[in-house]
Amino acid sequence: MLKIRDLHARIGDREILTGLDLEVGAGEVHAIMGPNGSGKSTLASVLAGRDGVEVTRGTVEYLGRDLLAMEPEDRARAGVFLAFQYPVEIPGVNNAYLLKAGLNAVRRQRGEAELDAFDFLALIRDKMKLMQMDESFLNRGVNEGFSGGEKKRNEILQMAVLEPKLALLDETDSGLDIDALRVVASGVNGMRSPERAIVMVTHYQRLLDYIEPDVVHVLSGGRILKSGDRTLALELEQRGYDWVRAEAGAA
Amino acid sequence: MNAAVLPAALAPYRAAFESARHGDTATVRGAAFEHFVESGFPSPRDEAWKYTSLRRLESRRFTDAPVTAPGTAVLPSSPAGARVVVVNGRLLEAPGPDRAELHGIRIRTLAQALADGEPQSALLRVPTGGGTERFAALNAALCADPIVVDVAEDARPTGALHILLLASGDSSMSHPRLLVRAGRGSSAQLVIHHSGDDAAERFVNSYLEIESGPDSSLRVYRQQAHGSRTFLIERIEATVGQRAQLTVHDAELGGSISRLDLHARLAAPGAAAELNGLFLADGARHLDAHVRVDHLAPGTRSLVDYRGVAASRGRAVFNGKAVVHEGAQKSQARQVSRNLLLTPGAEIDTKPELEIYADDVQCSHGATTGQLDPAALFYLRSRGLDESEARSALTRAFAAAVLSRMDLPAFAEAVHAILDDRLARILETPA
Repeated sequence: MLKIRDLHARIGDREILTGLDLEVGAGEVHAIMGPNGSGKSTLASVLAGRDGVEVTRGTVEYLGRDLLAMEPEDRARAGVFLAFQYPVEIPGVNNAYLLKAGLNAVRRQRGEAELDAFDFLALIRDKMKLMQMDESFLNRGVNEGFSGGEKKRNEILQMAVLEPKLALLDETDSGLDIDALRVVASGVNGMRSPERAIVMVTHYQRLLDYIEPDVVHVLSGGRILKSGDRTLALELEQRGYDWVRAEAGAA
Repeated sequence: MNAAVLPAALAPYRAAFESARHGDTATVRGAAFEHFVESGFPSPRDEAWKYTSLRRLESRRFTDAPVTAPGTAVLPSSPAGARVVVVNGRLLEAPGPDRAELHGIRIRTLAQALADGEPQSALLRVPTGGGTERFAALNAALCADPIVVDVAEDARPTGALHILLLASGDSSMSHPRLLVRAGRGSSAQLVIHHSGDDAAERFVNSYLEIESGPDSSLRVYRQQAHGSRTFLIERIEATVGQRAQLTVHDAELGGSISRLDLHARLAAPGAAAELNGLFLADGARHLDAHVRVDHLAPGTRSLVDYRGVAASRGRAVFNGKAVVHEGAQKSQARQVSRNLLLTPGAEIDTKPELEIYADDVQCSHGATTGQLDPAALFYLRSRGLDESEARSALTRAFAAAVLSRMDLPAFAEAVHAILDDRLARILETPA
């Protein structure tokens, strides 16, 4: 589904990604772990199409298409979803409006009929129950005055509504207490399916106790240094990142 | 100054003045006209016109326009029979006296009010001061059918009175004039709708005087939707009485050059004014709003909240001034000016001012000018909204704070519709 080859990217004069390779297949859940400053969030930004990150080399192929040539909204409509680390507050733009406009944009792309207000509400009610969100959230501004946990739940709600093919979760566990983490994790687990790929970017292995990855990657210095199964995450938790770097340096 | 040495730019105004019949009001009008001639057009050195040049207006030769029946395109939908229609400053249509929803509202022309024995001095005043004094004088000299609207004491009409001020004709000038008096304890709503098409250049020089009696509540909804070749200068002069509340919701959406001077005098204890505005300077439009509140008595309150959006080669000017005079203790004055530049060529100049001559008052003011938040824009696009849809949603969100207070549904809907339509056109061509 997603093939990243030799990806180099910089922000201003700083080289952040320095030759990153990654392949993710449908139905797989990948975790990308790494210390602060290793390039985790930059990778998520590049994939979602945020301005300000310049790709200087390499390719990203998504379902056979050149992802980097697509506008952010075209990526979203083609099934790429980024759950933001810091969801932005947008007073005056209603949550329900955003969900409906986004969903209908995605549905148009898929060749499906747009939902009317009634069908939309029926759909949204189910998903909100799942995320343990009160319906009053619908009529508030996007993320306006939401707590950290509410913002993250809102991200997963959007994901559940848009039903992406490739979901990118950027530090979704940061700032969550244990109860909120459980809700968010069960929302994500409910989305696991053979047609969908999920890539989680995280600093801590805690999230992986709740959402079990098929593959774990270590990102450091802008490259994937090591990949393995779940046990790699546990090893990182115990031994830190230095040994991976040393190993990679020796190789 | 005599006609022989009159500057060429003023000749058409002299011609219009001399061809009109003034009857009983000739003396007042004559003095007002001479005042205009002595003042002439403002120069850029004039502080009140620092950002707005009237060179183009000054170079044109407008003539007094007769009433031409307006096309349906410029006649906005409003309850027929319950509205006043003024075309080029002349009364075309007024509601009948038996409209139940307008019970307690009396509408006359200046001529009728004079015939009823009211003194000229109360009906045809020229305000002093402000950058538009000269144009208010010109209006007093040349206004054709000034309309006098009286809301009776304790009257609470259930419907809003719609006043349509239409401009039509080629190279026409007109001087619409309104006097609105809200009687003691009354409560009323007034929609003032400026409208015209893009077919020709026109000059509209409008004057509105408001007197809010004690304990009255008057809500004015103003929509300025003139054609994009119209020069508009409007002065609104309001005096608010004891414990009276004046609310103005202003939507500045049209014109080529539009200058509004909105003055509220809080003249007696407990008087309050809320002045909300939204302006949209798109295309090559130049909008200039000067809003001034004078706190003249103790315990008076004012809130001014104007939001501006500029795009393309549009330019907007906002000057807000609150003056708390000596003795106006326990007064509150709040002023907010927020501005949004949608495209790089647009410009907004904002200047909030406070002058305080009393020591026990609460005053605040703030002004910001910025662009759409790139992080918010990216967030919306990452959810599948295309760029113009995302920009439109964020711009409407910016305006929402002012729009949401426009509590007359038909008015708010009309403003929303114009805004949506314009934003769609602005955002069609991405910046």
